[in-house]
Amino acid sequence: MSDIAKPKNPDDDWKIWLVVNPATWLMPILFSVLVIALAVHAVVFSIGLGW
Amino acid sequence: MSLSGLTDQQAKEFHEQFKVTYTAFVGLAALAHLFVIAANPWF
Repeated sequence: MSDIAKPKNPDDDWKIWLVVNPATWLMPILFSVLVIALAVHAVVFSIGLGW
Repeated sequence: MSLSGLTDQQAKEFHEQFKVTYTAFVGLAALAHLFVIAANPWF
């Protein structure tokens, strides 16, 4: 397994799109960011730090 | 043919836009956090 070339990031970051097709996965990625943001807001409000 | 079906050129082209949008997102989030710190510091 270790003979596979190791990526050099961030230079090779773009190669993720050779594996993950954004035409399929961009919206699911953006929606999961939204879900995470909503969850963080819910926690922050629940511990009383909301306005 | 890559796993995703994109060519190297397409992947690089998409990644450039992805970086721009992500940087804007982080910038806006940082700004929002500064407003919250100014109004109601949580530490």
